[in-house]
Amino acid sequence: MADPSIISNARFIYVNDNHKFHPPHSVDSHHIIVHRSVVKPIVIYLIALLLVAHAVFLHFEKGEPVTAVIWSFFFGAVLVKFFIWRPIVKESVIIMPEFGVQLETHYGSGRIKRRFIPVSKNLKPVLNEHVTPVTCCWCLSLLIRDENELTLVFKKFRPPLKMLVPIWKALCAATDCKESFEFQEDGQARGLY
Amino acid sequence: MEFKEGRHRILMVSDFFYPNFGGVENHIYLLSQCLLKLGHKVVVMTHAYANRSGVRYMTNGLKVYYVPWKPFLMQNTLPTSYGTLPIIRTILIREKISLVHGHQAFSTLCHEALMHARTMGYKVIFTDHSLYGFSDIGSIHMNKVLQFTLADVSQAICVSHTSKENTVLRSGLPPEKVFVIPNAVDTTMFKPAPERLSMDPIVIVVISRLVYRKGADLLVEVIPEVCHLYPNVRFIIGGDGPKRVRLEEMREKHSLQDRVDMLGAVPHAKVRSVLNSGHIFLNSSLTEAFCIAILEAASCGLLTVSTRVGGVPEVLPDDMTVLAKPDPSDMVDAIKKAIRILPRIDPQEMHLRMKEMYSWHDVAKRTEILYDRALRCSNQTLLERLPRYLTCGAWAGKLFCLVMIIDFILWRLLQLWQPDSEVETVPDFKRTELKRG
Repeated sequence: MADPSIISNARFIYVNDNHKFHPPHSVDSHHIIVHRSVVKPIVIYLIALLLVAHAVFLHFEKGEPVTAVIWSFFFGAVLVKFFIWRPIVKESVIIMPEFGVQLETHYGSGRIKRRFIPVSKNLKPVLNEHVTPVTCCWCLSLLIRDENELTLVFKKFRPPLKMLVPIWKALCAATDCKESFEFQEDGQARGLY
Repeated sequence: MEFKEGRHRILMVSDFFYPNFGGVENHIYLLSQCLLKLGHKVVVMTHAYANRSGVRYMTNGLKVYYVPWKPFLMQNTLPTSYGTLPIIRTILIREKISLVHGHQAFSTLCHEALMHARTMGYKVIFTDHSLYGFSDIGSIHMNKVLQFTLADVSQAICVSHTSKENTVLRSGLPPEKVFVIPNAVDTTMFKPAPERLSMDPIVIVVISRLVYRKGADLLVEVIPEVCHLYPNVRFIIGGDGPKRVRLEEMREKHSLQDRVDMLGAVPHAKVRSVLNSGHIFLNSSLTEAFCIAILEAASCGLLTVSTRVGGVPEVLPDDMTVLAKPDPSDMVDAIKKAIRILPRIDPQEMHLRMKEMYSWHDVAKRTEILYDRALRCSNQTLLERLPRYLTCGAWAGKLFCLVMIIDFILWRLLQLWQPDSEVETVPDFKRTELKRG
């Protein structure tokens, strides 16, 4: 039977580290990691290198001004920034019972953006259907006290429902609120009206 | 899947829905509620209104998608032909819809949804709620669009026989495909006053939008004449619109301020109390496919005086209504006749008769029969469907075929980009009844 702490699909991998820390169940972390191709960064770096090399060749052999080389560096940097550094590679939710919830966003450049929400400010986690002009998907949000808008748990990722449900259940348990719907394995849900 | 055999999953599409109030909006809402009671699943799709955008749930779990497309003209979504294809496809797959039901010929979202649903192989049904003309430029274009949409529809519904004739002539649809299912009225909400009003003064109620189409100009001629002939008659006018100014001027000119009350716009919840303060209901519309207003008035026990236009003669029996030509002198005669027969009218008895005649549950059952019929129609490929569009006209036919072919190609491309299996279906929520202690 598959390890219940790991779920994956074509785009995302969901990992739940509940057992890493002692005592167990003190800190619960859920990670959504995007599938990374090994080929893509190599290709992007190669293209940037080729661009600079071509500009240098033009400058030395054909007498193009130095600005061409500078521009090629600039475009190469833009390529690297947009395709390797800027994309988000991992988003995490770390639940510390009695303390709060930490939301982390890991970028391709190694930068990590963190936001901590204390347990007193956290009202309820909700699974919302997010409707855009072209599509509709599920997203997990937190209702925060004194804030008018919902706080999205995952800023950019739109993982499938089967990955969001365990995180939502863990958040519900941590914020000590009763789940208003019971989710069963077969995808049926029972609710109270 | 938990769904019982014979139960359908219906998507209602229209530009006109709550929070707007009107005939089409009420029809969709009440029909959906009755279908939910019969055990079907109903989802409504409309455009976003101001801040109301996204998914909302209404009574009994009626799910409404307010898709964030801005309305551009008279509540209608901007027609982009193919722009709504991705979101409609997503909603159809995630809700596991079996049937798409579009409402109102004037709704661009409805036409687009029906077109895309046909491309994707779903069965579609269309309901026409209004009568439209043939000769002005707006009608000519709209009729052409209607011809295109209805060329490949499974079944169509009209709210009266007059409306059926109008729709068949405008769209070229074979009459065998069009079914007449009249609107109904919520008789639990529209009840007569517990105590009968005294006959002095006799109160005539008018509730309608004060626009040309609803005959506001006729009222300007009729009211002073009636007030002059009958000193004990008063008028109550509810509603607002561009013609309100003319009615106010008429009031001033004939010094009828104490005999004609202008209430302004009446919220839907207050309509019953306004009707219960009168004896006679006056409807002066110049065109009506059905006219739910006179049903509401009859359910409250009022005698109706109306213009004999469109589908109005089909709505009420002869002893509950007095009909007239849309001409001031004819209408004054009709009001005279109504005042004469008023003592014979019993509001409670009228209400009970209306209860027997009209019910939304009956409308839902008849619509369900239609859904069953539509689902039994055979599935057809694109090539089998294209010849139907060619009959729309020499040039139009070819254009419509091209539009459908492009739609088909776009759909296939969309399937390559995001296969059907990647769209997550929504779990069915079972409602457990709250136990009241």
